[in-house]
Amino acid sequence: MRFTHLKLENWRNFLKVDVPLQRRVFLVGPNASGKSNLLDVFRFLRDIADDQGGFQRAVKSRRGVSKLRSLHARRYPNIVIDVTIEMEAHTWNYRLEFTQDNLRRPIVSKETVLRNGDVMLDRPNDQDVSDSELLTQTHLEQINANKEFRPIADFFKKIRYLHIVPQLIRDPDRSSGMQGDPFGGDFLEQLVRMPKKTLQSRLRRIVGALKVAVPNFDELELERDERGTPHLKGLYSHWRPDAGWQSEDQFSDGTLRLLGLLWVFLDGTAPLLLEEPELSLHYAVVRNIPGILARLGRRTGRQVMLSTHSAELLADEGIDANEVFLLRPTTEDTVVTVASHDLEIRHLLEGGLSIADVVLPRTAPPVVQQLTLFGDSL
Amino acid sequence: MTSPSISVTVEGNSDEALARKLLELAEFTVSYVYVQGGKDRLDEKLRAFNHAAKFTPWFVLRDLDQDAPCAPDLVKELLPDRAVNMCFRIPVRTAESWLLADRKNISQFLGVPMSKIGANPDDLDDPKTVLINLARKSKSKQIREDIVPPTNAVARVGPAYVSRIIEFSNEYWDPRKASKNSKSLAKCLLALEKLNQALTSKT
Repeated sequence: MRFTHLKLENWRNFLKVDVPLQRRVFLVGPNASGKSNLLDVFRFLRDIADDQGGFQRAVKSRRGVSKLRSLHARRYPNIVIDVTIEMEAHTWNYRLEFTQDNLRRPIVSKETVLRNGDVMLDRPNDQDVSDSELLTQTHLEQINANKEFRPIADFFKKIRYLHIVPQLIRDPDRSSGMQGDPFGGDFLEQLVRMPKKTLQSRLRRIVGALKVAVPNFDELELERDERGTPHLKGLYSHWRPDAGWQSEDQFSDGTLRLLGLLWVFLDGTAPLLLEEPELSLHYAVVRNIPGILARLGRRTGRQVMLSTHSAELLADEGIDANEVFLLRPTTEDTVVTVASHDLEIRHLLEGGLSIADVVLPRTAPPVVQQLTLFGDSL
Repeated sequence: MTSPSISVTVEGNSDEALARKLLELAEFTVSYVYVQGGKDRLDEKLRAFNHAAKFTPWFVLRDLDQDAPCAPDLVKELLPDRAVNMCFRIPVRTAESWLLADRKNISQFLGVPMSKIGANPDDLDDPKTVLINLARKSKSKQIREDIVPPTNAVARVGPAYVSRIIEFSNEYWDPRKASKNSKSLAKCLLALEKLNQALTSKT
């Protein structure tokens, strides 16, 4: 159950994208090249399909069509999202084209669903023509309209995005209070809502991994305080035995981030989107992430798409050039290239260089050395 | 008596597990492991590690590959002035040959008959490819998916290759048994034992 192809037109800073998707996808590019914007396509699909979401809301939370449409899109006003999904021996294709009307409301221009090439949905249809209000919603979000392709609506709903901000786990009052907060605001809440047995078995596995990665880490427990607020407690073996347990506000950024990562790896089998999973982690931990993802993908078929700047992460020789996307900003837009489609990259890899050796220098800003002059700018 | 401590330099993530196993067998305590990310980086810094080895015991593993006809030639070229506590060893031709040398365990791990695994891995031109081709014939789908690169891949190895090599080195590999089939491994173990003796007899 995964995405196998992505096509985009005029989505944010991408005029045109057409790439096959593997089970692991590594997005590499300079700052502000659009790595998060690319991942956001999948969050957008999830937001449309979500029970509390819908098309209007998904666009509104991104501040409207004009913010979503590439600034350089002049001739083709539609924003196009086109994804292919392999699911239980079926190949599905979902395509959504949208723009805005005179009232700046998002409007569906075209929505199609194919299953193994057969047309399951083709909009605008006769009803849409007679009542154009219908085009303010996709059929993806409507239970009474998506019966024929419910599996893909359910699939989109389950997409997970994670970009843990440790400060929000420590101090959930700062978060937006949203459920399923990708930044970790309700992370502990999510944990305590799990069935106890599942929670215990997952915590056990996480403790096993944390013990390997975090020196002296020993035990982990989750409990509610008298006000009902959930807390994580960790025991470190080098502390005096009577020093007691540490709660999550004393955990380091790295420990919290790793905990969040391990948790989300165990949670579900739907596609997972990660922003720079290497943040705050020691490089020796980071270089094992691709191996974790490979095994996870093999066991559960789970797809993971992540952005990264990490040489350590990309040094794993098992990462294939088909799994790596280079994002290269031009004056017009950002161009997405599959690393294996670039001949020079192929030659360097065949010559024995690692993905990190080849790809990271190509995504460095061209005159970045000039940054040092900033130190003299006062 | 406590075991002497030693620092380690290896090419990659997967070599670390193998080095630790060897040092455990030779009764060393590993203090630090310097993973280099490739032999070129290792070669560049070899002088510094050798300098440090004048003062602390050091174990370096570096694949022979096709860089010299035999291991002694490469040692002469890379490290003409070896420090007294430097144990610089060269698997012939890559560390995978040392893993293949433990025929029984590697055949079980890969899920292939032992008869498919040659008795003299030191003679192989490219042990890594041999190991991957063995995995290709594995009866286990997991092994094939993890170790063999997918069709159309540019990568020479499968997505969880490194992770599998680490797993095997840690949990299944028996260097003592393997050393019966690999001369370069046997020599490495002998050198480590000698170094250990020299260090412990001094104290």
